[in-house]
Amino acid sequence: MMQRPTARRYRLILTIGLLALALLAAACARSRGRSKAVIQDSGSDTMVNLAQAWAEEYANVDSTVSVEVSGGGSGTGIAALSSGTVDIANCSRRFEPEEIAQAKKNTGKEPRELMVGFDALAVYVNKNNPLNEITIDQLAGIYAEGGKLTKWSQLGVKMPNGSDEIICVGRQSNSGTYFYFREAILGKGRDFRLGSRDMQGSKDVVELVANTPSAIGYSGMGYNTPAVKQLRVSKAAGQPAYAPTVETTLDHTYPIARPLFMYTLGEPTGAVKKYLDWVLSDAGQKIVLTSGYVPLPKTGK
Amino acid sequence: MFQATRFSRRKRRYELLARAVLFLMTLLIVAPLVLIVGYLVYQAWPILSLDFLLTNPRNGMRAGGIWSPLLGTIYLVVISLLVATPIGVLAAIFLNEYTRENWLTRVINMAVLNLAGVPSIVHALFGLGAFVLFAGLGKSVLAASLTLAVMTLPVIIASTKEALAAVPVPFREACWNVGATRWQTIWHVVLPNSVGGILTGVILQVSRAAGETAPIMFTGVVFYKAIKEGDPFAYSLFGQCMALSMHLFTISTQVPGVPKALPYGTAVVLLGVVLAVNALAILVRLRLRSRRKW
Repeated sequence: MMQRPTARRYRLILTIGLLALALLAAACARSRGRSKAVIQDSGSDTMVNLAQAWAEEYANVDSTVSVEVSGGGSGTGIAALSSGTVDIANCSRRFEPEEIAQAKKNTGKEPRELMVGFDALAVYVNKNNPLNEITIDQLAGIYAEGGKLTKWSQLGVKMPNGSDEIICVGRQSNSGTYFYFREAILGKGRDFRLGSRDMQGSKDVVELVANTPSAIGYSGMGYNTPAVKQLRVSKAAGQPAYAPTVETTLDHTYPIARPLFMYTLGEPTGAVKKYLDWVLSDAGQKIVLTSGYVPLPKTGK
Repeated sequence: MFQATRFSRRKRRYELLARAVLFLMTLLIVAPLVLIVGYLVYQAWPILSLDFLLTNPRNGMRAGGIWSPLLGTIYLVVISLLVATPIGVLAAIFLNEYTRENWLTRVINMAVLNLAGVPSIVHALFGLGAFVLFAGLGKSVLAASLTLAVMTLPVIIASTKEALAAVPVPFREACWNVGATRWQTIWHVVLPNSVGGILTGVILQVSRAAGETAPIMFTGVVFYKAIKEGDPFAYSLFGQCMALSMHLFTISTQVPGVPKALPYGTAVVLLGVVLAVNALAILVRLRLRSRRKW
């Protein structure tokens, strides 16, 4: 009986495998039995770190609720909400009328908008770039299709390393940041010039600018690092330019700041309502500030 | 007595040269692995501790540990293997032991081979369509595990078939000749002699399942989810989870101000899990082979 010991061993392995299976089944049954309330929160990459910070803190506030955060871009959140697969869509822009109609058609409910804070869109250049100010028109000239500005020397800037070409860094087209920048800087309907480097994330934009001396890029003001510089932005030539801060965002002197929204299907109820109420509370708004965004003004509530 | 001729000296020179070149090439294979592991561990050293494994990410994922993604990866890998192993092994037994080569088995074998070559992002889309949307599982641990199972299935079938084919045919013939049925032969002769190879194939799939990002990103892994620390049952089958591979991606590309050691620490743990499992596969194979009498 030459295979005898092997056969015994092999049955032992089989038994262990079956035991593991049973144990896992039991584990699943157990974890299903006391599953927590889950809130699914998805959308804007600009807001994903803020949403994460809220979710992390909320675990300490209410341990019976677990918030699942995912990113992908405002468009991803809108699509997920209008197919009814998430509870909250994070959005760094408003829903378009078609998108509201689509959500209504799919789910029978109207998306409800909740403003949760502001994001000042900062214009970043490399820290060695001598430029300090820029106007909206200049930005349009750099980014828009048919824009005239392709060299730093046209802005009156001599780059320390001699490379004169402006390298435009932008975001991918389903990003709310892309959408807002296009609307605010280029004007509706006008397109970006070809050849801009469209990055997948807000942090990627800043990192590319940090590593590329002649690059310019736009991203949330919370993504600032020592390797880049935020430009002061003015509405038009001759008008004062402002740096992106909490104050300039709230008094609207900084020209490219936008509200951040959380959308739900219909009036929020139960755990979702409690969560959103907490987001708007002082504790929730404090996290907006510490995450590098601008909280809602106190009187506005 | 024998004088070294010119010819034999040249022969010896070429032999030395060949040896040196071949040895150098072998070193070249090993060097990147050693460098990668060494660099990762060096960068991650300040952060590696038991605490790192057992605490959730904190402070906007800029501090704390990797408990929630680690547990998520374990869930995904274990469940996907529990699904893929029985199906894959049983199908391979049928293909290898019960069927003769004909057009149908040729088609099936071709399908298996092609399925093994499908890029993981395509599996991701398939999982999204089939499990998340069509089967109505939603984005969940279960949907993600099933997607991984589909991805690992063809390789499990292929490696199991190979292990079965390595058992010499005379073993089977001897068994049949004393009146055993096909199943008795498989159960008492073929499987005991091939279980090592089968297990190795299955275990090697752990590393693939643990490392993939695309399929699970589409089907059930989230950016962040807070779970109870130290509770191995913190995720449920129908909820979503975090995973090491995805976590590594997010903290290196999405979150500003992450200390450098954090992504490296995550990478070391991911690599550690995979290497440990591979080492287990090698051990199992060695043990079972040492018992083999042929």
